[in-house]
Amino acid sequence: MPDETRGFNQVVRPLLSENCYPCHGPDTATRAADLRLDNEREARRVTDRGEDGQILLLQRVLSTDPDEIMPPPEAGKSLTVAEKKMLVDWVESGAPWKQHWSFMRPESPPVPATSGNQWCQNPIDTFILSELHRQGLEPNPAAEPGTLARRLCFDLTGLPPTLYQIRDFETSCNARGMAAAVNDFIDELMASPLYAEHMSLGWLEAARYADTDGYQNDRYRYQHAWRDWVLKAFNEKMPYDQFVIEQLAGDLLPAASLWQQVATGFCRNHRINSEDGSIPEEWRVEYVADRVDTLGTVFLGLTMGCARCHDHKYDPISQREYYQLFAFFNNVAEHGVGPNNGNSPPFIELPASWPIINEADDKALVPAPVELRAARKDAGNGLQRPQAGEPNTVMVMHDLPQPRMTFRLLRGQYNLPDTSEKLLPAIPTALATITSTSPGNRLDLARWLVDGKNPLTSRVYVNRLWQQVFGRGIVETSENLGAQGSLPSHPELLDWLALELEQSGWNIQHVQRLICTSATYQQSSDVPDEKLRSDPENRWLARAVRSRLPGFVLRDQALAFAGLLVNRIGGPSVKPYMPPEIWSSISNNTYDQDAGESLFRRSLYTYWRRTIPPPTMVNFNAAPREVCIVRTEVTNTPLQALTLLNNVTFVEAARCMAERIASPENSTDECVVALFELATGRKPEAVEQDVLRHSWQMAHRYYLEHPDAANDLLAVGESPRVSQIEVTKLAALTNLALTILNLDEVICKE
Amino acid sequence: MLLGAAALASLSGGMPSVANALEQENRIGGRMDVPHHEPKAKRVIFLFQSGGPAQMELFDYKPDLRNRMGEEVPRSVYPDDRKTTMSSAQASFPVAPSPFRFSQQGQSGIWVSEVLPHTARMIDELCVIKSLHTDAINHDPAITFQQTGSQVPGRPSLGAWLSYGLGTFNADLPAFVALSSKGSAKTGQPLYDRLWGSGFLPSQHQGVKFRNVGESVLDITNPPGVSRDLRGDLLADLSRLNSLRHADTRHPEIIQRIAQYELAFRMQMSVPELLDFSGEPNHIVELYGQDCLSQGKYAYNCLLARRLAERGVRFIQLFHQGWDAHNNCPTQVRRQCADTDRATAALLNDLKQRGMLDETLVVWGGEFGRTTYSQGDISHEGYGRDHHPGCFTMWMAGGGVRRGCAIGATDDYSVNVVENPVSVHDLHATMLWLLGIDHLQLTYRFQGRDFRLTDVAGNVLNELCA
Repeated sequence: MPDETRGFNQVVRPLLSENCYPCHGPDTATRAADLRLDNEREARRVTDRGEDGQILLLQRVLSTDPDEIMPPPEAGKSLTVAEKKMLVDWVESGAPWKQHWSFMRPESPPVPATSGNQWCQNPIDTFILSELHRQGLEPNPAAEPGTLARRLCFDLTGLPPTLYQIRDFETSCNARGMAAAVNDFIDELMASPLYAEHMSLGWLEAARYADTDGYQNDRYRYQHAWRDWVLKAFNEKMPYDQFVIEQLAGDLLPAASLWQQVATGFCRNHRINSEDGSIPEEWRVEYVADRVDTLGTVFLGLTMGCARCHDHKYDPISQREYYQLFAFFNNVAEHGVGPNNGNSPPFIELPASWPIINEADDKALVPAPVELRAARKDAGNGLQRPQAGEPNTVMVMHDLPQPRMTFRLLRGQYNLPDTSEKLLPAIPTALATITSTSPGNRLDLARWLVDGKNPLTSRVYVNRLWQQVFGRGIVETSENLGAQGSLPSHPELLDWLALELEQSGWNIQHVQRLICTSATYQQSSDVPDEKLRSDPENRWLARAVRSRLPGFVLRDQALAFAGLLVNRIGGPSVKPYMPPEIWSSISNNTYDQDAGESLFRRSLYTYWRRTIPPPTMVNFNAAPREVCIVRTEVTNTPLQALTLLNNVTFVEAARCMAERIASPENSTDECVVALFELATGRKPEAVEQDVLRHSWQMAHRYYLEHPDAANDLLAVGESPRVSQIEVTKLAALTNLALTILNLDEVICKE
Repeated sequence: MLLGAAALASLSGGMPSVANALEQENRIGGRMDVPHHEPKAKRVIFLFQSGGPAQMELFDYKPDLRNRMGEEVPRSVYPDDRKTTMSSAQASFPVAPSPFRFSQQGQSGIWVSEVLPHTARMIDELCVIKSLHTDAINHDPAITFQQTGSQVPGRPSLGAWLSYGLGTFNADLPAFVALSSKGSAKTGQPLYDRLWGSGFLPSQHQGVKFRNVGESVLDITNPPGVSRDLRGDLLADLSRLNSLRHADTRHPEIIQRIAQYELAFRMQMSVPELLDFSGEPNHIVELYGQDCLSQGKYAYNCLLARRLAERGVRFIQLFHQGWDAHNNCPTQVRRQCADTDRATAALLNDLKQRGMLDETLVVWGGEFGRTTYSQGDISHEGYGRDHHPGCFTMWMAGGGVRRGCAIGATDDYSVNVVENPVSVHDLHATMLWLLGIDHLQLTYRFQGRDFRLTDVAGNVLNELCA
């Protein structure tokens, strides 16, 4: 391990990549002096001693002559003394070479010899602990059971636990020990449809799922049946390999089912342009490129898009290879311009019983081919649009009987094909683990991803599972495991988890269970000052993560506390509260807010208009869903405070919380304690109770003086007021509930 | 209240640089190495004319086309391959000359159309660029390109780059504000949130949209039945409770959160004060026109832009919809000009009389130009114009911009640039340069690559700079 951290991949390649690859890397077009340093054989020319006895690389790097020195001054890059020393050490030790770490298969790493340690619950902990010790750190004590119950619920269901769940978990911990209690609790949570909903949400963002087409007028599409498929997949604990294969190529599976065909909606979630005047081929090329980029980011953790216009500057993917990948997705029976409302072909009509499908009807359908018709009557308007799919359809993948020709596109432009060479589908050479036959279609591509030889697929996915829980992946740049991506903080742990995923039959829940049953996960998140100093970013995990909850979760949580949340899985998107004229103020569409229970469904069902996404979610760093995004940041801004304090969703939820706990028999103090406990899962300390009581008294005094104001506050929101409690008291409690909803403890996972 | 440094640092993500000391003293956030050189302007007001104003109706005067009305625009001048599919199947592409009278204005003698009488009076403040060109022929990619330097979504907008590079001067208002208004012409193209988005930059740099109806800033108002005093008292208790949590857990983010709540509370004061125009004297209202008192009007946004500029906002972006004149072009252009001309000129005038024009960069223009040929049937007043990426006109004024000049030229048809071509990247590079930024150096690492606003292009237009 110590040697490895000083090794080529950890130290030397990042230096070469950052400073040399722009001119001496994979891109043939910008390669200078016909020298490449991303390839051992070529690099030997300058790292071996030449006939003159000199080592050219060192000569140039150590030169003080501005005409000689590398990198040259005009490159705007320079090596520090320490970095130069690293290069000297490397060259002098014979310039040992290794392939980029993520392009090599994970190998079963030796589990560090801390296994005897009492703290360790499973091998995750031994990897973490051995690194902690190297950093001179010790883990935190375990979290309180109540805190842990809350953390598990957020991580596995995206909702807070009920008070009953917390007390039950605490009892179970006392009776049978924490390990057994956690295991049972994980079982309970994973069995719930809430788990499927939570897991689906992250996938919707990565898969750029939305309810509109995304360009210009941004008209409506109907793709929620694909979301139903995702929910079903997580609900039934579909293994990850099948999850990948069905979404990329479910239509090509032998005797494909209707569900498997619907799964391929994944490849149709890209934006579609319906703008008047569009040139169809220009946009069709964009859709294919989007599929390649998405494949790269979400499954391979590579920035494929960089090779669209030229060879990749850092990773071994040539422009030609990019278009060979492009060829897999280039045969869809689609048209480049959309129908300007409704689904774009190819789409299939779903049975009226959807999502309930008889076994006999569970067969893939043949989508109708594109039928073009003139868009407008105006003379000279040459735009033709395809037929539009109605709300009972879903867009799927379907290939043309005769494949389109694929060529390399110069500068990535649709109208500049290099017709001198027809390209067939193929995997980039650097990743080619299939040698026997060259892959022919999307199904081969999908199977290659999960054939157990691919070095990236399992690492990329476990890294994101880790990120989902710890806020940061073992590789921080979860979208890029290539040469310019960050290095893994715990490389052996990453490989161990990747192999666990593969060897468990791609069992997602197995990996999540390993994570959640680890002592690492179960630590307290408190941060003693010395740990804050020694590891401010918590890279080494000597404490659990404490992070602000995502916007989706904050809304769902408030609805849950309020007793408003509707627990019904799947179906079309809903239109909850939005600011007035949210769409019509800057576009040509009108948002028609729903009524009744549609206002209170989980946030993953909220209608997603790409060009004007729900502001409350965006405010809390939701991905905009225009393209594939697998990592979002967590910010802390005044606009977030305004939302949580003033937005109708939260004000109404506060009122309903107050209504839930207030009854004529309860004293004020009992109400205050109950409200606090409802949201935090614990009773307030005495000093906290004093502050809460003070808040209540001030609010109550205000409403006694201003009874009309009390009525105004209680009228916020569509849900009817049911409580018979006197309005000044209820209004004061509503304010208190709003304060509690804004407690840092409540808006964070601790 | 617990405020000060923590609140400011959380907004910004950095400390002021040592360069340009006086300016820096008051600055919040921004990158250490910025400015790279002495800035000519402190802030930007971008008057974006969405939909694509027709260059030959406003500034790009082509008197000879009068005699060629209805003649075919030669294929050698306008090849077919980049015509949009809205008009590419037309049997003919007849020249549609502008019916408007042009005259030379001011000391500089720059030609201006009769539909811009107010702008004409300010002409000696402007530098008119007739030789802009863009890559895109559809609204969505073209406007995205103008605002972010790329047709593909996901890149930060201009204002976000400036917020990231330069920070701001007022902690109680956002560094970057986006305003929108609808024109009275027939066709209004939609706007998209990505146009003021932060892309891959940290999201505190995204523009805050001031809405054109109802509550200007989302959720800025307390709920009904909650007074400011009551809210203040409750927030004080919230801070106490959060401080207790901080004492237990020691997480510094809790202190940051407390500061953000206090900042939000202050914004609830500063935003209404900003939007209260009652203190504006009559002669100012008269200057901008009565529309300046109606939320959602272009004139209102112009006056608001001045007020935002006074309060230290770094980038103020107006979007005015309605320039997409596919038919009845002259009528639509007249309406659009009636909506905007007076207030645009008033803003320049107002900034000038306050001594602010010299330090404010004002930019006017849209995402592309319009075709010289008629889309659809042609008559003197009754023709349309399709999208045209080959040339269009923009102007800049104020901080660091050469006054009273016109640069670039197009061919006799107003189809192709023949002199001084200016790309969108050049425009961006120049704007950044005027603000003290070298566009090559303002980069952000994303997906392993150092991205910049100007991608791999962009030249500063020296002839534009004073």
